[in-house]
Amino acid sequence: MIELFIPVIALILAPIFRVRGHWITFVAYVATSAIVFFRIVSGEVYYLKIAKLPDPIGYIYLFGDSVSHIFGFTIALVSALVALYSHPYMSHRFEEMGLSSKEFGRYWVLYNSYTYSMLLLVYSGNLLLLYTFLEISLVTSFLLIHYYGYGNRRWVSMLYFVWTHVAGVLALLGFILIGFENNTLLIPLLKSIPTLAWLLVFLGMIVKLPGLGFHIWLPYAHAEAPTPVSALLSPLTVGLAGYILLRLYEIDPSFILSHRTAIFIYGFLTSFVAGLLVFRQKDLKRLLAYSTVSQMGYILMAICLGTYGVFGVIVQYVSHAFGKAILFMSAGSIIAVYGLRNLDDMGGLHEQIPQIANASLIGFMNLSGVLTVGLLGEFFILRGVLEVFGLGRMAILVVLVFILSGLYSFYTMKNVFYGKPKGYEVKRVPKCLTVPLFVIGVLSIALLFYADPIVKAMMGVVR
Amino acid sequence: MIWLILFLSPVIFSLPTVIAWTYRRNLSISSVVGLLISLAVTIYLYRMPEGFYTIPWLPSLGIEFRFVLDYLSKNMGVLTALIAFLIGIYSLEYMREDYRIGWYWFFFNLFTASMLLVVYSDNLLGLLIGWEGLGLASWALIGHWFRDDDELSYVGVLGRKVGPLKMFWSPSFAGWRAISTIRIGDMPMFLGIALIFALAGNLNVSQIDWNAVFTKIGLIGTTFLMISILMGPFTKSAQLPFSEWLMTAMTGPTTVSALLHSATMVAAGAYLFMRLSWYIQPWNYHELEPVYVFVLFLGLFSSLYGAIVALGCRERKVLLASSTLSSLGIMFAVTSLSYWVGKIAIVIAFIYLIVHAFAKATLFLVAGHLIHATHNRFCCGNLELTKRMKLAFLATVLSTLCLSGIPPFTAYWVKSGMDAILHEVSHHLGQTPMIIFVLIALTYSAFLAKFLSLNFLKGERAKLHLHGERLMPTSYTIMVLTLLPLAYVLYLKFFREGLETSSILVGILVTLTYVVGIVKPTHESKIGQALGDRLYLMALNDLIVPKVGWFFALLSYYFDRAVDLFTHSSIPEMFEELSKAVRRIQSGVLTRYVRIVIGIVFAIILIAGWFEWRF
Repeated sequence: MIELFIPVIALILAPIFRVRGHWITFVAYVATSAIVFFRIVSGEVYYLKIAKLPDPIGYIYLFGDSVSHIFGFTIALVSALVALYSHPYMSHRFEEMGLSSKEFGRYWVLYNSYTYSMLLLVYSGNLLLLYTFLEISLVTSFLLIHYYGYGNRRWVSMLYFVWTHVAGVLALLGFILIGFENNTLLIPLLKSIPTLAWLLVFLGMIVKLPGLGFHIWLPYAHAEAPTPVSALLSPLTVGLAGYILLRLYEIDPSFILSHRTAIFIYGFLTSFVAGLLVFRQKDLKRLLAYSTVSQMGYILMAICLGTYGVFGVIVQYVSHAFGKAILFMSAGSIIAVYGLRNLDDMGGLHEQIPQIANASLIGFMNLSGVLTVGLLGEFFILRGVLEVFGLGRMAILVVLVFILSGLYSFYTMKNVFYGKPKGYEVKRVPKCLTVPLFVIGVLSIALLFYADPIVKAMMGVVR
Repeated sequence: MIWLILFLSPVIFSLPTVIAWTYRRNLSISSVVGLLISLAVTIYLYRMPEGFYTIPWLPSLGIEFRFVLDYLSKNMGVLTALIAFLIGIYSLEYMREDYRIGWYWFFFNLFTASMLLVVYSDNLLGLLIGWEGLGLASWALIGHWFRDDDELSYVGVLGRKVGPLKMFWSPSFAGWRAISTIRIGDMPMFLGIALIFALAGNLNVSQIDWNAVFTKIGLIGTTFLMISILMGPFTKSAQLPFSEWLMTAMTGPTTVSALLHSATMVAAGAYLFMRLSWYIQPWNYHELEPVYVFVLFLGLFSSLYGAIVALGCRERKVLLASSTLSSLGIMFAVTSLSYWVGKIAIVIAFIYLIVHAFAKATLFLVAGHLIHATHNRFCCGNLELTKRMKLAFLATVLSTLCLSGIPPFTAYWVKSGMDAILHEVSHHLGQTPMIIFVLIALTYSAFLAKFLSLNFLKGERAKLHLHGERLMPTSYTIMVLTLLPLAYVLYLKFFREGLETSSILVGILVTLTYVVGIVKPTHESKIGQALGDRLYLMALNDLIVPKVGWFFALLSYYFDRAVDLFTHSSIPEMFEELSKAVRRIQSGVLTRYVRIVIGIVFAIILIAGWFEWRF
């Protein structure tokens, strides 16, 4: 329980310390993630009542079970390392924008409230509370893009705000309907979800996830956000839509079950089309954003695939979060050190920045499920598709998507880091721009071999 | 514990090199020590009794790291570790001046460790980890010279084009091609593994109830399952039409090619097929017939393709690469014969794998030494070179003799065994396999002789840059000498088959083509050129597949643009127009407002009347 309140310290202290705020944030979130990891191992479930509101809202309370712990662990860990990374990166960005380092005060307020709201979102025991945190995370990330983004940042942040706000409102409508149906909003007490409510929440979530067609805001937002924010948005925030779907699926899977094939095919199309689009991108951060869409397609597919599919969603969230955090941070490092974003200007960068190249390799290994925890995610999804659809076309579609993600991963590696070096001078890369990447990378490899606590925790949820 | 040492010692011992190679270049030795430890462990395991050993991994799913010690894994383990160790020693000298030593040693040792994991793993998911490790390490090593600036690291003649095809490949491109091809095979294999897990609830090859699995999914399901699993071995072992990556893999350092082509990577595909066949026992299942017939002919055709392409190749390493392809085809084909003749076919294929591994590693190491000495990728060198590199010459002679199947050298005895079982299956499959096999054997010895002749006897004069290498000749000499005791062992095993008339006849023919190859190594012709260009199979990789892919990517791109325009331009514009229209109403002219109000009232009355207002 204590772990949920450690970040408050960072929320209060980090803005006071301004430039040195990253250490406090880092320590707070590392402590949180460590404790949460022990909770995963011990499989503890707990409740914390905060207030009682009239029906149909019911108790406002925090609630932690294995699923929350796994998501919470990922969020806390990535937040910790991105905080560390923020320091050199945002210094560079403030300098570029002509701001003084006092700006760190505002930055840390927004950063910490953003990450903390995501962390509490996965521990919310009440749909209303969950919605509140969803909106807080939306507003804070909107402000971060608005203040520190690249390019046409005001337009992009507005675009991001409108799209995700539509998603939020749809979800809220759905939640309200659920509340009237069950006369409560407490997640463990919910019995059934009317189809209309499911539809609204589902629509909202595929805007946020995003699904094909609704994905169009994501490349703008993720590419133009300041990189530490991209490294939170893409790995953590969008996947939370998957988390919400998962929670509702646990309560009442009727909607997903009755439209299983359609959703599955939609997920496939999302993943496949976005995967193809990756090949056409010229901007590295935009490229990564499209690969996020592709990976989120996995989550849409996996949610249709029964028990193993649920495992797939969870593991896929973790492995994608780790991989994409590494990749966005390495893209950011290239921006911070060389100011490069366009793929045409890259090529042979391994010559100048081998550390970042090697870190990106681990990131792409995560995406394509090679030797990292992503391997298990793929395994569960394949196992699930065989369980639900049997041997046949659907299984082949999954294989196709997996092949595609491997292809674009290594294609990008080749275009960015290998080939004839372009002759940029070798510069020193600050340690904080590289070490966090390797920490996440090593963890994602270690988790493959030490995955049993996670698998056991997931088994516990299903039973 | 012993297993952890086996797999981790190469990786851990390479870390000092990775971290500090820029300051202390002689740290490479620690990596070789790691390989030596692995070798010691494999020898220790060789002397252990057969059986299974487990390390828990995912107990809640019933998946564990489970290692098997049996005939196949014991021999293969020692073979892998020994060859990796010898090549490691060779690399100490070969890679001394390299610009990326840390990367090289890390992935070299990861490569070995992954292969050992594949060799000993009984659990398919554990095996898959090693399998993907192999793919990753091969990608890293093929693209090792990522700068693409050294002509020596390319494959093909720089700047040459045939129609729309560029006929030269850079290391970074070759790496991407390798991993993309492998990916296409690995994912179906992964699906197959998941399917086995779904059907049997177990992933240990030796424990799966194959009978239940096959009866549950019937003939078509079985064929699907086996083919999807075998897609992994097919791509890894570069069977047709996935052969191109193997040829361009020659962009890596020669040591990598030697390791890749002898005991790891490509052998992993054939090895996995053997291991599966060993435990599935295909001779018990009728459902498997289509699969095994398919593999037989795929193997034979790949082998024939490799052999005739090797005839036309002019680059040292590419020639050897296509000869590897040819050998792998034979391994697949012979293993698939187990459906008709039983376990003996697997044993013969496996022995061939061992012989091939030593001989091919030797040839590659010699080729590497030659490239080092002549600064030329293409076959060149004459008697003068032979005089100055005697050991290289002798090693080549011995290994070509041993590999091509000339009596009484090593491969002859294995090939006699193959002749015998092919003879045995001829009343199931007719004479075709036998004929193709003999053709392959003849071509095989011809191009090996060509390799020998063009590099040491009749090639163009080459300028030599010898630096007094010691470790390099030592390691390939040791490697080639292992072939001689092996010849004796095989003589004891196959002497009955070896003394059959038909075998002797084939042996004589093979010797004849060998002599022809030595005497007349080149012959200019259009066909030869086409063969040297690998029958233009690269059109599939470089032209057809990318074109199709880019077409779909373009379609997706248009879709993406359309959605973008619609949501971010059309909808905002629509709202703008609407707002303008609404604002136009507010003109401040009173009569206009009155008219609007009256109009609305009338409209309401009309609508109400339509619905028969009854109040």
